[in-house]
Amino acid sequence: MAALYFILPLALLVAGGAVAAFAWSVKNGQLDDLDTPPRRMLVDDERS
Amino acid sequence: MSSTATMNLTTRDATAAAPAAVSCGHCGLAVPAGRVVDGAAVHYCCAGCEVVHAALTEHGLDGYYRLAGDEVTPARTTGKSYVELDDAAFHALHVRTRADGLAETALYLEEVRCTACVWLVERTPTLLPGVVELRLDFGRARADVVFDPAQAKLSAIAGLLDRLGHPVHPYRGLDRDAARRREDRALMLKIGVAGAAAGNIMLLAIALYAGIFGGMGTRDETFFRWTSMLVALPALSFAATPFFRGALGALRSGRLHLDLPIALGIVAGLGWGAANTVRGVGEIYFDSLGMLVFLLLVGRWVQSRQHRRAVASAELLYALTPRVTRRFDRDQPDAAAIEVPLEAVAVGDRVEIRAGDTVPVDGIVIRGRSAVDAGLLTGESRPVDVEPGQRVHAGTVNLAGVLEVEAIATGEATRVGQLVARIEDETRRRAPIQRFVDKVAGRFVGVILAIAVITLVAWSVVASVGVGLERSMALLIVTCPCALALATPLAVTIALGRAARRGLLIKGGDALERLAHPGRLFLDKTGTLTEGAIRLVGWDGDAAARPLAAALEAGSAHPLARALCDAEAAAATTTTAATDEAPPTVRPERSPERSEGRSRTGALLAEDVAEELGHGLRGRVDGHAVAVGSPRWVSAHATVPAAMTAAIDAAAAAGETPVAVAVDGAVVAIARFADRLRPDAAASIVRLRAAGWDVQLLSGDDPRIVTGVGAALGLAPAACHGGVTPEGKLAAIRAAREHGPVVMVGDGVNDAAALAAATCGVAVHGSAEASVDAADVFVRRPGLAPLVELFAGAGATLAVIRRNLKVSLAYNLTGGTLAVIGLIHPLIAAVMMPLSSLSVLFSSSRTRGFREES
Repeated sequence: MAALYFILPLALLVAGGAVAAFAWSVKNGQLDDLDTPPRRMLVDDERS
Repeated sequence: MSSTATMNLTTRDATAAAPAAVSCGHCGLAVPAGRVVDGAAVHYCCAGCEVVHAALTEHGLDGYYRLAGDEVTPARTTGKSYVELDDAAFHALHVRTRADGLAETALYLEEVRCTACVWLVERTPTLLPGVVELRLDFGRARADVVFDPAQAKLSAIAGLLDRLGHPVHPYRGLDRDAARRREDRALMLKIGVAGAAAGNIMLLAIALYAGIFGGMGTRDETFFRWTSMLVALPALSFAATPFFRGALGALRSGRLHLDLPIALGIVAGLGWGAANTVRGVGEIYFDSLGMLVFLLLVGRWVQSRQHRRAVASAELLYALTPRVTRRFDRDQPDAAAIEVPLEAVAVGDRVEIRAGDTVPVDGIVIRGRSAVDAGLLTGESRPVDVEPGQRVHAGTVNLAGVLEVEAIATGEATRVGQLVARIEDETRRRAPIQRFVDKVAGRFVGVILAIAVITLVAWSVVASVGVGLERSMALLIVTCPCALALATPLAVTIALGRAARRGLLIKGGDALERLAHPGRLFLDKTGTLTEGAIRLVGWDGDAAARPLAAALEAGSAHPLARALCDAEAAAATTTTAATDEAPPTVRPERSPERSEGRSRTGALLAEDVAEELGHGLRGRVDGHAVAVGSPRWVSAHATVPAAMTAAIDAAAAAGETPVAVAVDGAVVAIARFADRLRPDAAASIVRLRAAGWDVQLLSGDDPRIVTGVGAALGLAPAACHGGVTPEGKLAAIRAAREHGPVVMVGDGVNDAAALAAATCGVAVHGSAEASVDAADVFVRRPGLAPLVELFAGAGATLAVIRRNLKVSLAYNLTGGTLAVIGLIHPLIAAVMMPLSSLSVLFSSSRTRGFREES
């Protein structure tokens, strides 16, 4: 079980990285408007 | 134009053309007979729709019709020039220049309703060179525009959006928006942190629980406990700050609040768990706490989202009054009037108001005679005649002749400006209701604290202080009211979603609580109980005179004349009842194209037409001298048979407006006009009264008409208040609030302040934008039946909230009992907590409110 003492902190570090990424996206305003994107998705991009 | 779109349009048209009525290729409304073109694939109800349809297909944007689906409503374009947006002063205030030379601004768009709007508006960059990017925030109806000032003027962008059916206003809520955005981001970050912490602690907890049964080395167990604590303490202390802050606020203000028991549970749990980790014995509760904080934050976020849709009321004034006007130069009073921005008009200036224009200022008529539609401001269904010396108000519409008006008040000093200020006042001052859940929480926290103290003392005496401390702490943690806090947001969110699908837009959960208890219900008449447009309801006498009268009236913009011509056009195409559905809007439309189109309806043409303002019309039609107008005026020029006199009196007694028709010097017919009651009004009033509401009418219209309408609905004359000014409505609502809850239902700007002042304001289908903003509920379906549904649904939702509270209290009772007698195990706590939240969720989804009636 000795591997645990190494792997558990590592796993938590990865989780911490995910939280940091989430914090970055929130601060960048990516989650400000949750109403429009689900509607925008309905629209096919015909041109471009 | 793509082939699919062509097909789309023709099928649309084919299905619509099958019955007698032809519907418009753009907006779907019935097309008046005069505008039906033989052989054409697509017909338009007005020139505006034709232009929009052409603009869309020409740019290859006909996908709009595919996306819009059933949501197509008549598009409203104003045709304003928006020159004021290019003003340097405006740019300094609202436009930001970026480092790369591009300019950035935010615009508030009207009529943002569906996916098609998002799609269409965001295609602007492909239509107008110089527009780099345009993003629409659907919830706030806010468009963020990035454009190249060298290539595109802001006025051109605004003009294009206007032509697409979205009148534009500068976005004035930027500061408030920025503050709200900061709050939203902070909450979102906390949800993320709490979720990650809860998930990871849960994994550690599973290992610990498995260790209980499978055996686990002390060293490993200590490691897992310490790791849990190191994750839980910083993450949860950070994520739970909103509850700590709420609890501190509650303590300071002395008002008990649900945040208090929550914060108590979290603090006790974190503290006791940390102490036990350090001591190496006892239970840690970090897994339950993590889940608890996460769920509570999600509940809080759901609640804050409900309040998003409320639109800035500061926009109101700008939507009501025009922003350009025609002013006479002070130094050269004889020169022609020139267009200036409204801000440039000062008290004492003279402005020219043409027929069909909205009056821009409060003022006194200097020259000209006309009729003014004050319906939006006062709720009067009949136009008011004005002549020199009389006062006109901003926001009313000039119907007939050109007026020259000397301004006595402008901008916020006008009557409509003050009305808007009142609305903001009332909205701000409205006392928050003591929410049901807070009442429960107040008692709850007292009871729990008392039991905790008793547990501590009793177990200290019976066993030891350690046991007492452990069990009282377990009690505080286990009874942390998670389900209690989720009970209301869940029930309300589900109810609001269902209500929205049924065409009832409710702005917040507390509106539902405000509607659940019957009290006094004030209904506006014009546009609420009635259809809001004057129609021809009867014709007494010679039917052959009807085409003659219609031909004479064809060129007039007077609402009675329009109603007569509409009825005649409908009769000519043998359209029955096709135009009864949904009167397009309260505002009468007066585009020259429309009246021209209608004048072609009759084969008869009127000559030598003379309009006597406020009285009627005279002219020659088909060789006959015809006069149509008020009975008094017509009878001064023609003989009146006794039968006609009786018909006039009968119409006036019934609350209708009689109009006399004289042919060759004798009155031959009486046309009766009225604003018809909505078909479901009487039945709905009966049901509302049966539900316990004290129904009263509150209208700005003539008291006789109001009493007549009330009688038709079975209301006593004492319950019908006519001739009430907007200020009077506000006073009546305030007075009634002394005695209990008051619900106001209305549609006009004249109702807006009253809507804001009432315990709950309801704006009905076709309401002015001002009332929609002031009200708590906006009903998107025509008629009064949705009101009945609204009240029933609110009652059902409150019943669900009560049931949820009972469920969560039952869980707390069980958990608390187990904790007090020392039988609680962290595993039981960890299972019970999500289970109680799940059962509340299940209970909420089984609400009876806002369902299809079966």
